[in-house]
Amino acid sequence: MNMIKGLLVSATLVTSSLPVVSFAQETTVNMINPLPRSTVFYPLVVGEALGYFADEGIKVNLLPSDTSIPYVAFIQNGQADLSMLDPNETINALNAGAEISTVYEVMQNAPEGVAVLSGGTYKTMSDLIGTTVGLVSDRDRAFLQAALDVTGHSIDDVNTVVLGESGPTLAAAIRDGKVSAISGSVFDWAGLQAAGIALDLITPDELLASPANTFAINTNMIEEKRAAMEGFLRAWSKGMYVSMVNPAVVETMLRQAVPEEWEDEASGLSLLAGVLPMNISTTPRLGDVQSQVWTDIQPRMLTSGAIEKIVDVSTFLNDTYIAAANDFDKAKVEADAAAWAKSNK
Amino acid sequence: MAATNVGSYEHSTAKLHTVAIKRMAIHAIIFFCFIGLWEFGSRMGWLDPLFYPRPSAILHSFWLIYVENGNIWFHLYATMSLVLFGWIAGSVLGIALGSLVGFNPLVRRFLKPYVIVLEATPRIAVAPLLIAALGFGSMSKIAIIMLVCFFAPFINTLSGVVNVNEDRLELFRSLRASKMQVLRKLVLPDAIPVIMSGERLALTAALSGALVAEFIQRDQGIGSLILVYTRNLNMASAFACIFTLTVLGFLIFKGMEMLDRYIAFWKYEEGRVRISQKRREKMKGTSHVG
Amino acid sequence: MSDRIKTGNLKNQGAVPASDANMPVFDQLFDLALRLLPHLALFIAIIAVWEIAVATQLITSIIIPRPSAIGGAIVELYITKGTIYRHFIVTFSESVLGFCIGAAIAVGLAVCSALVESFRRYVIPYAVVLNVTPGIALTPVIIAWFGYGMGSKIALAAIISFFPIFVNTLTGLTQFDEDREELFRSLGASKVQVFAKLRVPAALPLLFAGLKIGLTTALIGAVVAEFAQATDGVGVLMSRFSFQLNMAASLATLLSMTAIGLILFYSMEFIDDQIVFWRRESRREEKSRARAKAWKKRAGK
Repeated sequence: MNMIKGLLVSATLVTSSLPVVSFAQETTVNMINPLPRSTVFYPLVVGEALGYFADEGIKVNLLPSDTSIPYVAFIQNGQADLSMLDPNETINALNAGAEISTVYEVMQNAPEGVAVLSGGTYKTMSDLIGTTVGLVSDRDRAFLQAALDVTGHSIDDVNTVVLGESGPTLAAAIRDGKVSAISGSVFDWAGLQAAGIALDLITPDELLASPANTFAINTNMIEEKRAAMEGFLRAWSKGMYVSMVNPAVVETMLRQAVPEEWEDEASGLSLLAGVLPMNISTTPRLGDVQSQVWTDIQPRMLTSGAIEKIVDVSTFLNDTYIAAANDFDKAKVEADAAAWAKSNK
Repeated sequence: MAATNVGSYEHSTAKLHTVAIKRMAIHAIIFFCFIGLWEFGSRMGWLDPLFYPRPSAILHSFWLIYVENGNIWFHLYATMSLVLFGWIAGSVLGIALGSLVGFNPLVRRFLKPYVIVLEATPRIAVAPLLIAALGFGSMSKIAIIMLVCFFAPFINTLSGVVNVNEDRLELFRSLRASKMQVLRKLVLPDAIPVIMSGERLALTAALSGALVAEFIQRDQGIGSLILVYTRNLNMASAFACIFTLTVLGFLIFKGMEMLDRYIAFWKYEEGRVRISQKRREKMKGTSHVG
Repeated sequence: MSDRIKTGNLKNQGAVPASDANMPVFDQLFDLALRLLPHLALFIAIIAVWEIAVATQLITSIIIPRPSAIGGAIVELYITKGTIYRHFIVTFSESVLGFCIGAAIAVGLAVCSALVESFRRYVIPYAVVLNVTPGIALTPVIIAWFGYGMGSKIALAAIISFFPIFVNTLTGLTQFDEDREELFRSLGASKVQVFAKLRVPAALPLLFAGLKIGLTTALIGAVVAEFAQATDGVGVLMSRFSFQLNMAASLATLLSMTAIGLILFYSMEFIDDQIVFWRRESRREEKSRARAKAWKKRAGK
């Protein structure tokens, strides 16, 4: 009995730890974020499909983790090289003494927002007074508070209930009118809309300019990891660029790489349509860090209790990799995409 | 009812066979009626597709994820290796410590508070600490599973070892049995049913431990697949994954039951008869002259 | 848990060791202190090493705060701000209520299964199916049925704690000494008497082992449900602190979760001790002395 167990154990141990045969110069970049390879962050998929990461000698080791885990801690102890953080997490981490720098903005349009059912009875923030608003998680209360503050109300004017991240629960809550609106982010409504639940975002304009999902790195590692990071961000930017010129090929790549999100054609397309504008940078240089935006958003984060102290943006915003990340031949990228499309018809 | 010769034993196994088939048929009928009602209710619009996807849609999903896209195999392998590895490691640890603690009051005194504290803490909350200590990847996931499925075997083994039948112990002692003999012939056989019961619990706990681990570190495995599907409201495929797990769990359970019948055979009449048979044959062979 | 396997030393037969209750109070306290001392020493040693390790930068991770910081957070949570009480009570009640419901159903079904063979055959597959279906995957449906409040946590706690109790109780009830059963029958015991006086007492140790597992499992169910969706509860609180990178408070909340588990566990052990008294020698003697007195009263004056 014991011998059989022993054999099974060693067999499993061996097969599950078989290293991928890697060629000489390959560096592994460990990236921690909330989702596995997904349509929502398609630049990764596109970059890998066209071999851009491999060209830079990089193998991306994605570490998708639940958000109850403090991502920043893993940048601190080196288990992750890059982490996707949003402004709340970044400022809180800095206030807690973490030495991190924000080096690239993945999504420059605030994916956070307040959503209501399309064509329903609630059309503005004021309509929500006295109703129950759903929160995707505890942390979304701060955003709701900011949205209410900005429109002249207060968080005490509404009831809140935490709904959790599970798709069906959110869908049922808004569809059946159990909540008047949901305060959450693109992760949450992309799925809902893709499944045919039409939502309108009633987020106040003042709150729309907010970078979300930015890449943060351990400040002490900026020079040491320069080569790997610049390569990674360049491949990511190239992936983003492909979607700016040839979204059709992005669709095909996603269908191959993440079939589970494309089992239903229509919902896959709807999901992609929703996340395309989020992933495409609005700044002239892709992924550029926007100091003014970061400075502007902090006061309302302070008043809504999301952060304890305002942090000077020059202490953590760092565009040192941006130039290199944008240093690529756009025409070549377009050609690569077209060639890929042809050979993957 | 016990068979006394080879002939009637074979006869009674044949009878058992047909009875078993009859029972399975009844279960199957109940199952199909249930599915039929579900499909009907779904088509009539009584059942919310968000929570109760149509059985035909689930079937279609099975086809997609197993055959057409075939994306589940990789995740299935990932989850099962976690479960197996974690379960074995967890139960070995549990049985070893359980016996050690059962026999050694001093060790028990010092270990007890920490084991209790560890058991009292829900593992899902400890996961971040484990990941910080062991890094991302299989190790921390296996550690979570080990934590989950360590306690049932430990407690049950301890209970089994400690609740030795004292009259029999005195009998053994009066016949001057050595400690090893006491262990092998009295303590272990008496404890095995209890230990097996603990193992069964541990294995099913390992399956849900693996899922918890995969919900937190969602890189691969059926848990992460379920998350992707529910996020995109693809409930049919999510259910297909859940049913896969259910079937797996059921198979594991049946496997454990068969193991139980083999190891703790004296609990079951059929097993007792079989083993007596074997032993009688052996003895006949050795004592028979020519 | 029983103290040790009886050594069966013939020399001790007839000697009556002094029962704990007969010792003077001071001696009892002194005894208790002596027993706790080694544990305390070990614990303090661990804490000291931890504190020094963090202070000297041996451990630099944000995730592992100093014990003194955790202590400060505990004071703040329980005394200064008292934020934790509401959440503590919520999670505690969710676990206990879920356990009670799960245990009641489990024991009931186990008893029926032990008595009626065909019932067992039909119940077990569905019990197994329920058990192997991962709790986390059931949460959307449970939330849909039981709402966004404590209901869904209680339900998940009940569902998850059902199986261990069911299995252990069933095993206990089907595992009894056949010789003793024959003895009972030969003395003309009715089926009910056989069940109540033989099978139930024989099953009790395993049943309580199952209840102990079930109770802590119920807490796990409640916490898992809280992590999925909750507004109040220790799980939510811990998550909140974690996100704010207030790891000291987060760990302090984790310790509170452990405290809940401990309270539950020790309550069950206490009940176990009271009911399954024959396992501990001192308890056995206490009980037999009490019964002897009762008999004397009935037989004597």
